Amino acid sequence: MKNRIEEIRNEKGIKQEDFAKLMGVSRQTISSLENGRYNPSILLAHKIAAYFGMAIEEVFIFEEE
Amino acid sequence: MYYNNKRLALSIFWMVLGIVLIILTVTDVLDQSIYAGMGGALTTVGFLQMMRNLRYRKDEDYREKIDTEFGDERNSFLRMKSWAWTGYIVVLAEGIGVVIAMITGQELISRVLSWSVCLIVGIYWVTYMVLSRKY
Repeated sequence: MKNRIEEIRNEKGIKQEDFAKLMGVSRQTISSLENGRYNPSILLAHKIAAYFGMAIEEVFIFEEE
Repeated sequence: MYYNNKRLALSIFWMVLGIVLIILTVTDVLDQSIYAGMGGALTTVGFLQMMRNLRYRKDEDYREKIDTEFGDERNSFLRMKSWAWTGYIVVLAEGIGVVIAMITGQELISRVLSWSVCLIVGIYWVTYMVLSRKY
């Protein structure tokens, strides 16, 4: 699943480490999410989308394999 | 909150148990040195856990670090995945061990390893049934 976390985070000028703190996860988790190596739980996805003030599907792009 | 009173009580319990084992070995109530070794290990683990617990209560940065480390969903995922892989590797290694032991005529080792594989598979099956009812 692709996502726009890095793009939106950079637009908002938030550092990866600060964003991780805000989401209550480690910096490595944010890095893995941004690289597409790890798919978040629905709770974390919701938290991220809510923080950006967007719908989940605007941040996370579901692609059928 | 990862380090709570329950975990503190548990670390003190391990420490006390370890000290009791050491005392029993020193006073010759227990005659095998393995108990002293176990006692030493338990005391060390209990002491380290207790110190971590106390630091967690006092040091805000440390508390945040620990809470993130243990509350982080990717870390939980990695821990679960690592245990799953460990299980697969152990069963596979034991299966190979059974065959090698049979070929080399080590019947006892072969039997012990076979039982071990059966036990692990049994535990997996029970765990699966319990979890499938829960989720």
